[in-house]
Amino acid sequence: MRWVIRHCLLAILVFASAASGAPSGTLTPPPPELPAPDQFVAKDRPGDSGKAILLTWKDPPSLPAGATFEARRAEPPAYEWTKVADVKAGVQRYVDATAKDGVVYRYELRVHHADLADTLGLAGTIGPAVVSDPVASHDNWIKPERMNSLVACVLFLVLLLGSIGMAGRGTQFFIRRIAGLNAVDEAIGRATELGRKVLYVPGILSPGDIQTVASLAILGHVARATARYGSDLDCPNRDPLTFTSARETVRSAYLAEGRPDLFREEMVNYITYDQFAYVAAVSGRMVRERPAANFLIGHFFAEALILAETGQSTGAIQIAGTADPAQLPFFVAACDYTLIGEELYAAGAYLSREPVLLGSIRGTDLAKAALLLLGLVGIVSATLGHDWAAALLKTQ
Amino acid sequence: MSLIDRLFSVDRRWIFLFVMLAVAVPILFPLGLPVTTTGSTRAAFEYIESLHAGDIVWLSYDYGPSSAPENDPMAEAFLRHCFVKDVRVVMCALYPLGGLSLMNASAARVAREFPEKKYGTDYVNLGYKDGPEAVMRRLGENIADAFPTDVNGTPIEGMPIFQGIRTIGQFKVVFTVATGLIGEYWITLVNAQFGTPVIIGPTAVSAPKYYAFLNSGQLKGMLGGMKGAAEYEQLLARAYPAMSEFYHRTRLFTGTKGMDAQTGIHAVIVGFIFLGNVAFLLARRREGRA
Amino acid sequence: MTGLHFDIGRVLLLVCFGIVPLVGIILGFFAPSLRRQLPLIVAFVAGIVPILSLYIPKAFLSAPGQGMSPRLDQYLIIVAGFALPLGVVNVIQLNTRKVGRGEKGWFFSLVLLIGLFVMGSFGVYGAFSGTGIGFLPNGAPTPFQWMTDWLFQPLQSTIFSLLAFFMASAAFRAFRARNVEATILLVAGVLVMAGRVPLFDLLAYPFPPLKPAAASLTQTMGHLTEWIMDGPNSAAQAGIIIGSALGAMAMAIRVILGIERSYLGLGKGD
Repeated sequence: MRWVIRHCLLAILVFASAASGAPSGTLTPPPPELPAPDQFVAKDRPGDSGKAILLTWKDPPSLPAGATFEARRAEPPAYEWTKVADVKAGVQRYVDATAKDGVVYRYELRVHHADLADTLGLAGTIGPAVVSDPVASHDNWIKPERMNSLVACVLFLVLLLGSIGMAGRGTQFFIRRIAGLNAVDEAIGRATELGRKVLYVPGILSPGDIQTVASLAILGHVARATARYGSDLDCPNRDPLTFTSARETVRSAYLAEGRPDLFREEMVNYITYDQFAYVAAVSGRMVRERPAANFLIGHFFAEALILAETGQSTGAIQIAGTADPAQLPFFVAACDYTLIGEELYAAGAYLSREPVLLGSIRGTDLAKAALLLLGLVGIVSATLGHDWAAALLKTQ
Repeated sequence: MSLIDRLFSVDRRWIFLFVMLAVAVPILFPLGLPVTTTGSTRAAFEYIESLHAGDIVWLSYDYGPSSAPENDPMAEAFLRHCFVKDVRVVMCALYPLGGLSLMNASAARVAREFPEKKYGTDYVNLGYKDGPEAVMRRLGENIADAFPTDVNGTPIEGMPIFQGIRTIGQFKVVFTVATGLIGEYWITLVNAQFGTPVIIGPTAVSAPKYYAFLNSGQLKGMLGGMKGAAEYEQLLARAYPAMSEFYHRTRLFTGTKGMDAQTGIHAVIVGFIFLGNVAFLLARRREGRA
Repeated sequence: MTGLHFDIGRVLLLVCFGIVPLVGIILGFFAPSLRRQLPLIVAFVAGIVPILSLYIPKAFLSAPGQGMSPRLDQYLIIVAGFALPLGVVNVIQLNTRKVGRGEKGWFFSLVLLIGLFVMGSFGVYGAFSGTGIGFLPNGAPTPFQWMTDWLFQPLQSTIFSLLAFFMASAAFRAFRARNVEATILLVAGVLVMAGRVPLFDLLAYPFPPLKPAAASLTQTMGHLTEWIMDGPNSAAQAGIIIGSALGAMAMAIRVILGIERSYLGLGKGD
């Protein structure tokens, strides 16, 4: 449309100048020429699931202020150009996320300046266009920017599986004493002696959170112990998925101990999804029913201190465990024993004493040692002005 | 019972009574205590100050009614700052229980103070979506995939505020006002994968955890709890006389007003800690002599 | 002749999470040991797919909304939605039994059931009548919204406010200089508490001549607090976060590979 208008006006101008007998050679000076973009490349965006073409270019040195880059696309063999973007100077890249996989496109990039007048006094000037080679988008097998993370994961896996393999072949590994886990039997024994129940709160998140899975593993051991000693267990839940998993865990534990007669469905119950309604209900239970042993193990938020303090006020022995740094101080202040961070994840292995599981704790410790070493080396090199460690660990 | 034994076995209800008085008295009789600013809040403020008119930011309401006294003042101070600087704001709520109604109420309050701001051009409310991690992953590809319509059901494609904006990577910053994990997801998903800078406004309980992210550069700033909100309000009032006038006159609850009560309760807790330790040391000395 | 469109991601998910469990349930009647094996296979697939999608961006695995991993995210939301009625049924069963038998605390169960049915009814009514659970077109709140604003939110705030009281009593009991570590904890805690608020300004409030000194002290305490939070606290938090992350990775690998099975109630020899 602009082409038509421009050429009609040009014709009118020429005709008018000829008709008026105006001397030739008095045309207005031509507008400044806009440069073409440099190094324009259109390629499939690397490391994605497809449907995206990456356009990159360099801003030409003589680019006037206020200029932008207009990107257009066409599907060969037809060359009907459709505008896809207007990109400001300095950005030098654009991702066309409307491309279809397998469809071949060509892209055209040109400089555009809205405020410069062209030869006919129309606002806007467009520079010469640069056209890319044909390109099609497709999904990729690898995300290059995450390769360092993949290598780290593979190394971690090697250490872990190697330690598990060594444990499986009979190597004994030393695991330091974890007071909170040693106290589990003591707490359940106390509850049995006093004839009061054991309260187990498996956190407030779903089994999608790994702390809840760790908590369910410990619940299995606690349930086996309560089945063995014949004490009552109460496990109130906030999340419906955790409720169903916990019920199956406890049922299986009682079955495995040969005491299915002691299992009651009400042992594992669902309260409500609301965080504070849940904690109000559990606190009320603690005060009314006065369990002798409270296990607060899993992922907690603001309700951690309310539960721990209420339990403390009833005189129960309390074993807590969480990997959330924000709640750890409250558990440490209000509970008798606290599992801190990775002690929670090691609990299943520690309690079962299965060599294979203990081997995995050893593997984790080896990985931690390797990270510590890398951290130390990185600190020294960063202090000396070399940032290779940070660059090595950067991922996206 | 000796004094030492009495101090040791103070009934917790006395502590509760003092706490109640320490909170209630400053609310009824405001003291107007000064608020000093910290580096993390100044960093957040200066980052927003460095933005230009027309820039676009994302504000996420990731908290519920229980932490509204801490988080509402933060969200509103941020929103006022953006409006004063003519920065465009896209809002959403990712917290399931109450996040949406808090966002609606908070946004409506601030919008009334800036009648010249146009909905759909200067700011937009995208409503609530479940599954924060999945939402954030989709925001990295196409915002309209995660939020096809705004809170009123209007399609976002075609809204002036989204002209030329397709993904979260194009935003200057994400400000997440958070309680719980959702704030961390913005850091580990959006900042790590799409490079969008993040500022967080957590509750005071969670704030210590985020210093690690702040020091590693994964956060551009942090408003820790009600104190952080009060600091931001102070900085805003110092930089903009209109905001100073507003915070002086407003009858709404602000972080600055809450600081008097917070100071009172800190004083009570420190006092009881001191008393408890005096009793402990005296008891130890008594045992040593015996 | 048109080609067949084969969505391999959807087919794989159907096989792994539809056909395999069904086959397992049927075969489980004949071979009970399979009942233990098949959940482990499902757990393996459910765990490995999101991990692979982090590194392999192929469309069938990772494409937003269509790949196996995003679909699994959606399935989880749907499964959680189906699990919720199970929980509600359990609440009703347990509490009606308590009320029926007149057990200790039956009155609280009655209050719970009344709240559940009243608020739930308004919510369901809002969904079916099309008025929703928010505000009506004329700006008036629906009954559900009214109960949320005037009952639910104040009750939530009340329980949350208990934290202030419990924090004070926990601090009084726990912050004692029993040994070196406890003393360090005590000193750091008091310094941070004093530095986060204008404590000295409060103490100097009745004594105007002391206000400048108090202000200066508040500034100093503020800088000290910032140093504690930026330095030792940040280092300790980073250490716990990194350690927990490694522990979580190891736990996740154990669960995915079927090495850790106690969350299923299976122990040694199972």
